[in-house]
Amino acid sequence: MGLGFLHRHRGTTPYLLLLPGLLWLGVFFLVPLGFLVYQSLQSGNFVVGYAFHWAWSNYWDSVKGYSGEFERSFEYAGIATALALIVSYPVAYWIAFRGGRWKNLLLLFIVAPFFVTYLIRTLAWQTILSDHGFVVRSLATLHLVAHGGRVLNTAVAVVAGITYNFLPFMALPLYVSLEQIDARLIEAAEDLYASKLHAFLRVTVPLSLPGIVAGTLLTFIPAAGDFINAQLLGSPTNHMIGNVIQSKFLETGDVPVAASMSFILMAIIVVMVLAYARAVGTEQLTG
Amino acid sequence: MTDRITRKVFLRRAAASGSILTVPGLLAACGGGGGGGGASSGATTQQLAKTLRFSNWTLYMDRDLKNHTFPSLIEFQKKYGVHVDYMQDVNDNASFYGKIQGQLSKGQGIGRDIIVMTDNSPFPALLVKKGWVEKLDKSAIPNIKNLVPVQRHPAWDPNRDYSLPWQSGFTGIAYNERLTDPVLSIDDLFGNPKLKGKVTCLNEMGDALSLVMLANGDDPSHVTDATFNRAMAKIKKAVDSGQIRQFTGNDYAPPLAKGDLSAAMSWSGDIPQLDAPYIHWNLPTDGGDTWTDNMLIPTGGNVYTASVYMNYVYDPQVQGLMEAGDPKRNITGIYYIPPVIGAKEAALKFNPPVAKNTDIFPTPKMLDNVHLFDPTALTNQKYLTAWQNLISA
Amino acid sequence: MSTVDATLPARPSGPAAAARAWAFVRRHVLTVYSLLFFAYLLLPIGVVVVFSFNNPPGQFNYTWHSFTWNNWRYWNGVPGIQSAIELSLEIALIASLIATALGTMIALALVRYRFRGRAGTNILVFLPLSTPEIVLGASLLTLFLNSNLIGFTIQFGFWTILIAHVMFCISFAVVTVKARLIGFDRHLEEAAMDLGANEWATFVKVTLPLIAPAILAALLLCFAISIDDFVVTYFNAGSDVTFPIFVWGAARIGAPPQVNVIGTAIFAIAVTFMLVNVFLQDRRAKAA
Repeated sequence: MGLGFLHRHRGTTPYLLLLPGLLWLGVFFLVPLGFLVYQSLQSGNFVVGYAFHWAWSNYWDSVKGYSGEFERSFEYAGIATALALIVSYPVAYWIAFRGGRWKNLLLLFIVAPFFVTYLIRTLAWQTILSDHGFVVRSLATLHLVAHGGRVLNTAVAVVAGITYNFLPFMALPLYVSLEQIDARLIEAAEDLYASKLHAFLRVTVPLSLPGIVAGTLLTFIPAAGDFINAQLLGSPTNHMIGNVIQSKFLETGDVPVAASMSFILMAIIVVMVLAYARAVGTEQLTG
Repeated sequence: MTDRITRKVFLRRAAASGSILTVPGLLAACGGGGGGGGASSGATTQQLAKTLRFSNWTLYMDRDLKNHTFPSLIEFQKKYGVHVDYMQDVNDNASFYGKIQGQLSKGQGIGRDIIVMTDNSPFPALLVKKGWVEKLDKSAIPNIKNLVPVQRHPAWDPNRDYSLPWQSGFTGIAYNERLTDPVLSIDDLFGNPKLKGKVTCLNEMGDALSLVMLANGDDPSHVTDATFNRAMAKIKKAVDSGQIRQFTGNDYAPPLAKGDLSAAMSWSGDIPQLDAPYIHWNLPTDGGDTWTDNMLIPTGGNVYTASVYMNYVYDPQVQGLMEAGDPKRNITGIYYIPPVIGAKEAALKFNPPVAKNTDIFPTPKMLDNVHLFDPTALTNQKYLTAWQNLISA
Repeated sequence: MSTVDATLPARPSGPAAAARAWAFVRRHVLTVYSLLFFAYLLLPIGVVVVFSFNNPPGQFNYTWHSFTWNNWRYWNGVPGIQSAIELSLEIALIASLIATALGTMIALALVRYRFRGRAGTNILVFLPLSTPEIVLGASLLTLFLNSNLIGFTIQFGFWTILIAHVMFCISFAVVTVKARLIGFDRHLEEAAMDLGANEWATFVKVTLPLIAPAILAALLLCFAISIDDFVVTYFNAGSDVTFPIFVWGAARIGAPPQVNVIGTAIFAIAVTFMLVNVFLQDRRAKAA
């Protein structure tokens, strides 16, 4: 009976399939965002409560008052993404082209750290980078760190933490697109007198572009909104916009400003993503 | 807020404290009585619940370090048959309030029977003013007579209708003797270049500003814009120069023990608890501040069971053991300042060295050198916003 | 003959040998680099595992003291840790099942049908991935706080956490299953239908088994993401404590070794699962 219904109403099948999931997303993702917009136009705090005022000034206040944190967030996220790309690309390449039958196993090792709780991993870095720990003392003897200086609670630790935590997000998409490259194309390039380096730059890299795009997005976007690395590994001068938003939501109760900041963050990210997508072709993103 | 519970409010609270989305919860809501799961709501039943849900600061209960248990809570369970679900989830007043205020503002319970907040923050006063706390069942707390006189009439709860002190403490400076010479003043803490990047400041506005104002020669019990700005400037300078490594709640303890910090602005009782003889705590030379943490019963908490527990800890014998611990039984005490008359005498039996420790049972001279932070400054929104901007941005 | 020998090039030496050495290095530098990369990746994990066996003298687990099995034997000795991990596992299991089911349906619709709003759906599914977690968490918190506007007051705890987790897992499930569906050979289904099977039987007997690896992958991914989530959960858990929230709180006073124990256990179980999966895939590939 059910199939007969579907036969007669062919067009409804996709909508039926979509309904539960989209409904969930609609109610628990879009509607809350709507509430957030509403709250961003209110003013108030814990003590006096909140009132709707069309308070567009919240947006201006966020940008004016916290431009430093905004800039720092994108700076840290950008550096971390670039580092992740540079560090992961060779490994993804190695696994894709030289992995052979160990490919799946090696991929496992990339993903495995992901299975230790994010917080525990970051706390482990607190232990590793401890001022009197082995790592910092070694770096001091190599004069990479000032004597009596520290790595923990600095911008370096924060960026290192972000990079580390998002490495799998960069490495996996890179691997996926590199793995799909037909090795014969590279051979062909070399047959046409390209040097290995030349073949790499002109053939491999462009063909791996979808992976680079996916990896960059998957790393940069969450990194920009992160606050845990800054909180556990940074000092007050390293705070990112995520820290401010968290503090305003949960500590000062300055929900309107926090809400407006959240939207500004999202808006900037969306703009960046769109510009990026235009540059490389949208199908990579959503197709 | 009157204590007359209207039928509407009672039903709302009854509905909120059960798990509304389960069938038992729905039935309970329809029936208007206490729901499935946790404690029942309302103030009038004199029946002990099966579980007491208690949110407190860390390092604030007597502990058996080896078994990770809390002896006084075990004794309470033996005596009254009530299991205490003890959660150390208060790290600083503002963020704890931030977590609970959403539900409280909707009249919902927060799944707790007792919470502990400091009078050095606006929040206990705010909770009382907004009517988000229940009145104590004083008929269940005869031991309230043991409350030390100085704590009997605080400005924000003049008759102790809604609260009882948990512990008091001082704010001072802790330092690691292996890493630095004694750090005894705020000027040293924030100004000594040898300590650069190895000190922390507290994220509680009342505590931090008290100490810094005293170092500036100002009076923290009467805050003016001028004294506020002077104190903020001093702290900001130390942040910008990289002197201050982080703003912390209790969480200065791990880095201090680890050696990542040489000194920290810290609370008096935390340091004896670290059990590290190379870490010392002192009141700053210019003076420190004192504060009291208070037990409160949030909306929806089980008043009778909470009151019975409060009565239990106000027994001088119990308090003495909780306070000082007992080395013979491997129990570490709280080591803060108890609000119960007779606790010191009881502590002498269990742990004489601790009982004679003036950080825990302070001398009059020490009490002269500590100040209370101006409560009106705590509710000044301008100050609060400026402070939050300083510590989180 | 000898004249031919005379014209043969001499045995390579000098620059040519250097070139060969350079080729050797180049061949292996990538391997060495990759191995170093893995070492770096697994370093914190190693620290976590090692310190789970530590017997710290006081309450801070920062320096190695002595070896003990006690932390593993009494893994639930720390108050609150057992209920925290149980809650996390429960939520992860249920949330991943729901999210994978919903996500698979969306993926099927997106890949196989042309319908109005396809682009919009793509965007809607992609949006949560591009929203910072803090915005997801805070906005959901606002929704729950204002739920009384539509009738009932929701209690923070298990249900709010579950709703939140399903919400952000759906997108991951869609992306994972979609990737596999795109490369799916429809001819197999057509063949089944030609042989007399109706849509439902085809789906169950042909399609599902073939996309099963993707569904499994989506399940595992959602499970991993759910069990690890901190930010969104922190905003919406009310007073309930999941394992990441427990770790956050415990870190304030010095996380006890049992936190390392549970972290290691989750890691070990997950790695075992994946090793088994890898092994099975290899076998399947060899058989094919």
